[in-house]
Amino acid sequence: MPFLEFRQITKRFPGVLALDGVSLTVERGTCHALIGENGAGKSTLGKILAGVYTADSGQIFIDGRPVAPTTPLAARELGIAMVHQELAFCPNLSVAENLCLGDFPRRRGFIDRSALRARARALLAAVGADIDPDIPIGTLSTGREQLVQIAAAVGTGAQIIVMDEPTSSLSAAETADLFRLVRELKARGLTLIYVSHRLEELFALCDHITVLRDGRHIATEAITSTTPARVVTQMIGRELRAHTPAHLTRELGPVRLSATALTSPGHFTNIPLSVRAGEIVGLAGIVGAGRSEVVQALFGLDPAATGEVRINDRPLALGSVEQALAAGLGLVPEDRKRQGLVLGLNCRENTALAALPLLTRFGFVRRAAEATLTARYATRLRVKTPSMETITAGLSGGNQQKIALAKWLARDCDVLLIDEPTRGVDVGAKAEIYQLLDELACEGKALLVVSSELPELIGLCRRILVMRQGALAGELPHAAFSEAALMQLMAGFPAAA
Amino acid sequence: MPARLRALFRFQESGLLLVILALGALLTAFAGTVRTPVFERAADGTRARVYTTDAAGERVPLTIEKNKFLNAQNLAQLAKDTSFIAIMAVGMALVIISGGIDLTVGSIYALASVAGALVLRHFGAEGPAASSPILGILLGTGTCLGIAALCGLASGSLIVALRVHPFIITLGGMAIYRGIAFVITEGQSIGSFPAAFREFVRFEVGDGLGVVPLATMLVVLFVGWIFLSRLAAGRRVYAIGGNELAARFSGIRVERVKLGVYVISGLCAGIAALLSIGYYGAATSGDGQGYELNVIAAAVVGGASLNGGRGSALGVVLGALIIQMISSGIVILGINQNYSQIIIGSVVIFAVVLDNLNTWLAKRRLTAAA
Repeated sequence: MPFLEFRQITKRFPGVLALDGVSLTVERGTCHALIGENGAGKSTLGKILAGVYTADSGQIFIDGRPVAPTTPLAARELGIAMVHQELAFCPNLSVAENLCLGDFPRRRGFIDRSALRARARALLAAVGADIDPDIPIGTLSTGREQLVQIAAAVGTGAQIIVMDEPTSSLSAAETADLFRLVRELKARGLTLIYVSHRLEELFALCDHITVLRDGRHIATEAITSTTPARVVTQMIGRELRAHTPAHLTRELGPVRLSATALTSPGHFTNIPLSVRAGEIVGLAGIVGAGRSEVVQALFGLDPAATGEVRINDRPLALGSVEQALAAGLGLVPEDRKRQGLVLGLNCRENTALAALPLLTRFGFVRRAAEATLTARYATRLRVKTPSMETITAGLSGGNQQKIALAKWLARDCDVLLIDEPTRGVDVGAKAEIYQLLDELACEGKALLVVSSELPELIGLCRRILVMRQGALAGELPHAAFSEAALMQLMAGFPAAA
Repeated sequence: MPARLRALFRFQESGLLLVILALGALLTAFAGTVRTPVFERAADGTRARVYTTDAAGERVPLTIEKNKFLNAQNLAQLAKDTSFIAIMAVGMALVIISGGIDLTVGSIYALASVAGALVLRHFGAEGPAASSPILGILLGTGTCLGIAALCGLASGSLIVALRVHPFIITLGGMAIYRGIAFVITEGQSIGSFPAAFREFVRFEVGDGLGVVPLATMLVVLFVGWIFLSRLAAGRRVYAIGGNELAARFSGIRVERVKLGVYVISGLCAGIAALLSIGYYGAATSGDGQGYELNVIAAAVVGGASLNGGRGSALGVVLGALIIQMISSGIVILGINQNYSQIIIGSVVIFAVVLDNLNTWLAKRRLTAAA
C-alpha cells in the first residue's frame, strides 16, 4: 500500500482548470518531485495537500485512510506541513515567538520567555540551524527563514513536508545547506514533496519524479529510469519548435531606444543598450540580476535611476512615466496581476487604460472610438472572452496576458519593453504571443524582451544581452545562441564540460 | 426577457431599488394612520388651516386621515433629509472607489457652515452690510464651498505627500477642522442671514416639498454619475482603487487623481453645509456630528467597496435613501429612539455581508464557466 495517494484531484480557479483528475502515489521516506511548466498545477497540488486550497473533487489517502486537509491546521494535525516560497511568518515577531506561535509556553497565564527560548533552540537544533531565536524573523534571509519553517514543520511532528520552489531565491551556499538537510530528513523517515521547475536539482535530490502539464498528470517515474531530456519533453509535450521568426530576415531600421551608463544605486550600474526598429533584443539573467529593474527604470518608474536615454534620437528624462509614455515607450510588466491589469475592470477598460488620453475629448471618454480600438486589438490577439465587457479576473492567464499586451498595442508605442511575455501562460497562448511579437518586429517596432526562459529568448530574439549582479555580463549575437553560452554568462563561470 | 431588461436587472442598483420598495411597502403597511390638519394656500401665498363646524356647531380645524409614512409631508421630509446625506455620499463614493476613506466630511460640513454663516451674518438684517444681501449671498456661498474644498485639498495633499493611510490623515483632519470651527465661533450659534437666502433654500412647492435640496442632490447625483461612468477621470478613479500599482504602470498620475477625489468629497460636504445653513437659518460648530459615519454607511450600503474599485453614484444615493428611510421608519413605527443606532449598525453589516455573498456567487459563476 502506498504511503500517500492522490486520487482524481480536480481544482478550478476562475478562468482556468488548474488540476484535472490528477492521480499519483508517493512512497514513505522518499523525496518526490513535482515538476511542470508555469501553470502546470504543481504548486496547486502541493497546496491542496497542505490544506491551503481545497480540491473541488478527488481524494487523498494516507496509509490507505482517506484524509481531508481542508485547512492548514487540519493538515498539520495529519502530519503535513508546507514550506512556503513567500514569508509564512509574522515578520515583526522573533524567531522563537514564531516557532511557538500556536502554543506559547505559559506560566500562570504569562508567556514563559525562558521556556519559549529553550523550545525554539531545541527546534532549531533539530534541523541543524544556527539561528539566534531572539531576532525578528523579518531580518532573516529567505534561506534562513526557510530553515525556521522546516524547523517548525519538524517540531510539530510532520511526516510529510511540502516544499514549494524552495531554492528559487537562495544563494548557492544556502542551496547546498538545504540539500543536506533534505537528505537528512529523508534518512529520518520523513516524506518530502518537492515542487520545482529546476530539473538539475531534482536529479540530484529526488527519488521519484511526477510531471504535470496543463493540470494533467503526465508521468510518474523513478529518477533512475528517466533522463532530463525525457522529462523536458514530457513537460512541454512537444519537440521544441525549429521555426525561425520572420523578423530575423528583415532589414533593421533606425535606432529607436538607446541608453548609456544607465545606473540605479543598489540595482544595476552602467548598463548600455540599444534597440533598433524591427529588432527584438533579449535581456537574460538570473532572478535578482537587475533585468526587471532596468526596464522599469527606462519606463520612468525608478526615481533614483540616472543615465542618458534617447528614444527616436530625442533625449528622455528618467523618473517620469508620463514622459516615457509621451516619448513612445510601453511596458508590459512581469506580474500582470499586480502591475499589468486592474482585474476588477472589464476587458475593454483594461485594454483602453494606457490609451485613455488618446480616447478622450473634453474629459469625456469617446465610447465608440474606445469600443472600436479595444475590439480591434482583442481580435488581433485572439483574446478568448465572452465579451469585452467581461471582468478581466475571469479570464485565463493566457488571455489576461494578451489583454496586458493589447493595452500597449492600443497605445501604439514605438518601443515595447516586455518583461516575461509568457509567464503563467498555457502552451497554445504562448505560441500566439510569440507569433504576435514577431509580427510587431516586422512592422518596425523595437522590442526589448526580459525572460527567465532561455528557449524563449533563443527562439525570439536577434541579440541577447546578459546581466549578472546588476551589470552587463555580455552580449550574444544570433549565431552564438545556445543555452550553455547563456548560462555561462548568467552564472559567471565557465560551463561544465 | 429582452436583453436590455435583463441587463438592467443585473445592475446592483436594481437590488437597492427593490430594497427601497420593500421598505416603503413595509413602512406603509405598519405605520398606521394619523389625523393631520388640512392647509390651504391663500391668494397671497401663505398657508392657513381650513376650519369647519362640527355637529355641535363649534368651529374646529378640518382634519384628514393619512398614512403615517405614505403622505406628502413625510415624503417631502424624507427627501430633504436624504438630500443632505446623499450629496456627501456621492463625494464619499469617489473617495471609497479610489480605495481611500474620508472621515472629515462631518467636520468639513461644520467648518464650512460656520464660515459661510459668519459671512452671511455680516450681510444679514442685523449685520453691518445689510444693504447688499445679494453680494452677501454670493460671498457666503463662495466662502462655504471654498473652505470645504480647501479642507479636502489639505487632507488630500497630506495623504499623497506623506503616504500615510487616509484613515489616519482624515481622522486627524476630522478633529482639526471641527476644532477650527469651535475656535472661530467660540461655541456660539451664528444666525441672522439675508432673508432672500433663507427664502431661496426653503422654497417649497405643493405640500411642503423643499425643492432646492432635492434638486441640488439630483444635480450632484447626475454630475457624479457622468464623472464616474463617462469621464476619463472617473475611469482613472476605478483603476486606482482596483489596482494602484497597475494604474501607475499604465501612466496614470495616481497622486493627482487621489488629490482630486478628496477635494471633490470636501466640496460635496460644503454643498450640503450651504443648504443646511439656508434651511435651518443658523450654524454652530457642533453641526454634522457623526455625519461621516452616516455618509460612509450610505456609501457602503449603496455598494461602494471599501477595498476600492467598485461603486456607483446612483448606488450611494439609494444607499443614503435606505439609511434615511430606516431612521425615519423607526420614528414612524414608534420604536424607541434608542434602538435606532443599533438597527442602522446592523443594516450596514448585513448589507456588506450580502454584498460579499454576491461577489462570492459571481466568482463561482466565473469558475463554473471556465
